[in-house]
Amino acid sequence: MSTYKIPVGPQHPAIKEAFQFNFELDGEIIVNVKPRLGFVHRGIEKGMELRSWVQGIYLSERICGICNVPHTTCYCIAVEKLHDVDVPKRAQYLRIIINELNRIHSHLLWLGVLGMELGFLTFYMYVWRDRERVMDLVELISGNRVTPSMNFIGGVVYDITPKMEMAIKKGMDYLEERTKYYKSVVLNEPTIKVRTENIGVLNKSAATDLCAVGPVARASDLKTDVRFDDPYSSYDEIPFNLVTYSYCDVFARVLVRVDEVLESINIIRECLDKLPSGPIMKKLKRTPPPGESTVRVEAPRGELMYYVKSDGKENPYRVKIRTPTLANIPAVCEMLKGYHIADIPAIIASIDPCYCCTERILFIDKARNKRWIWSHSQLRKYSLEWYENGGRR
Amino acid sequence: MVSIIGWSRIRSPWILYMCTGACNACDIEVLAALTPRFDVERFGILLKGSPRHADVLVVTGAVTRQVAPRLKRIYEQMPNPKFVIAAGTCATSGGVYWGCYNVLGGIDKVIPVDVYIPGCPVHPQAVIQGVAKLLAKLQEAK
Amino acid sequence: MTTISREEFILKELKLAFNDKILESRIAAPRYIYVTVNKETVIPLVKFLKENFGLRHIVTITGTDFGEYIELIYHLAIYGRTLMVNVKTKVPKDDPEIESIVKLLPGATLYEREVHDLLGVVFTGHPNLERLILPDDWPEGVYPLRKDWKMEGT
Repeated sequence: MSTYKIPVGPQHPAIKEAFQFNFELDGEIIVNVKPRLGFVHRGIEKGMELRSWVQGIYLSERICGICNVPHTTCYCIAVEKLHDVDVPKRAQYLRIIINELNRIHSHLLWLGVLGMELGFLTFYMYVWRDRERVMDLVELISGNRVTPSMNFIGGVVYDITPKMEMAIKKGMDYLEERTKYYKSVVLNEPTIKVRTENIGVLNKSAATDLCAVGPVARASDLKTDVRFDDPYSSYDEIPFNLVTYSYCDVFARVLVRVDEVLESINIIRECLDKLPSGPIMKKLKRTPPPGESTVRVEAPRGELMYYVKSDGKENPYRVKIRTPTLANIPAVCEMLKGYHIADIPAIIASIDPCYCCTERILFIDKARNKRWIWSHSQLRKYSLEWYENGGRR
Repeated sequence: MVSIIGWSRIRSPWILYMCTGACNACDIEVLAALTPRFDVERFGILLKGSPRHADVLVVTGAVTRQVAPRLKRIYEQMPNPKFVIAAGTCATSGGVYWGCYNVLGGIDKVIPVDVYIPGCPVHPQAVIQGVAKLLAKLQEAK
Repeated sequence: MTTISREEFILKELKLAFNDKILESRIAAPRYIYVTVNKETVIPLVKFLKENFGLRHIVTITGTDFGEYIELIYHLAIYGRTLMVNVKTKVPKDDPEIESIVKLLPGATLYEREVHDLLGVVFTGHPNLERLILPDDWPEGVYPLRKDWKMEGT
């Protein structure tokens, strides 16, 4: 058997969590995909059991640096459920604002990364320049650009002053204009269309059966959003639209996210207008009573779930975390089947796997019985060259 | 001849970027340092995809068990002289992930480090300062 | 006319269909139900929810070590993912075996592999129960989420 491997390091020129997909190929066509996780598995669920309830907030914030706010929100709501209290109304609204700012930053970041994956670097630089505006607002509220540490068990830590309100409103106007511009770019730019339309199709029944979540499910016309289905933190008092598209391809996933940015901007405006007065924190005991609670939250990538169990001691007995990227992995494996090697970057990027997670990709050519490993950068280069040479099916 | 190589290394260091188990916050901040607002490219710094091309390895995140041998291999693949920047508190010491079974600690447990940049996550301005410190170090060594 | 909530309705239906096989049940909060059953009842219960309440979505499977047994919680979402039924069951720790639900809910594949990796529960009938999360050099038969496993120095 003439099997050989070319191992190329698991680092990546842009940012990537390590993650491996094993592909089975028939020539250029992907036949089967097997995921292998664990390159950035840190053992956080066990680490949670060693920490106090309050320390857990800051560890949960560092599970994912991009969608850190939903993580702390989910953890704090779960512990508040154990205490059986509701946090003050103002704190709930402030939580919505910081969650939606996080969603805008995450979706814009993703849009830029998609541009990079498609070889459209100008788009990437422009989007990231405008994303800085969101980072400025988060820094204005909390003092930190990425991880605001806003949530605490019983409420939020930072308040929004009238001066900040003005700054946020101004920022939202700017972002709305820019996002509308990017939407027109996405709709009219052939560079994006040719690489995303009819690529990575996941039909509605497959999305349901494989339990896809978040924008991936919504791009397959599945009406699901935890903010609607299972409203938390006063989301039921804020009117907004559920964005769905029925194209089921990568293009639909781009549109869903761009439209969600616009929705988030409206949610923030609505929250600022309705912002109730009052305290932002309810003082609770450091240790919750024994019990268990399950909480779901809509993170930028989809449904996030925490299960927290307390035995009345100062550490949690068990904290279980289900992140949206894990839920979307069976779906992305399905999406990849039947497409070319050159489409892999765009398809994998389309589920927004906490940054495109492909680190090393192992190819197995069934017919020729060859095995080789590519780094993501090589794959991207191959993909760009393949399309430059007019290689559409 | 030697001076020209030293000069070009200081004027245009090529960097390679690697995540060894970070939460992505440092990663996006390092990447933000390359985008228009902060723009480290004005120091001639270029992001490269292959360890063979790179002078400087920028590492974010605490080292996980699974990634440690791979980090070592990447470091060995880089040509001499090579420099390592540990970006973020986790890369410096393991940071917030103490007691997590799959985390070995800071990257200096696996490879030698020249510049440590603390911060959770690192501010892009801190990244720029760290790079500037490394360049100053190179200047002295020349 | 008295109206009963969706949660109460589901519990009533479940008790009608399974009567004493439901060992424990409670409505923890609006949209969150907990049901405890024996490990043999999990498959029929999932089948019942799938046929009668449109169950298609599994959120995850939680495994917790309680010393003598491992508790598994199947977090299932029904009614278009708006209502969560958390099905609890126990498997003995010295022989942690339970039938896989992958045939009924294909989305559970990775969650079962995760629980197998971290707690050592064997899901019989799972198509591919390989290592998913732990590193390649992790010793066999060591399960980090079990309470008797402690990291050095902690």
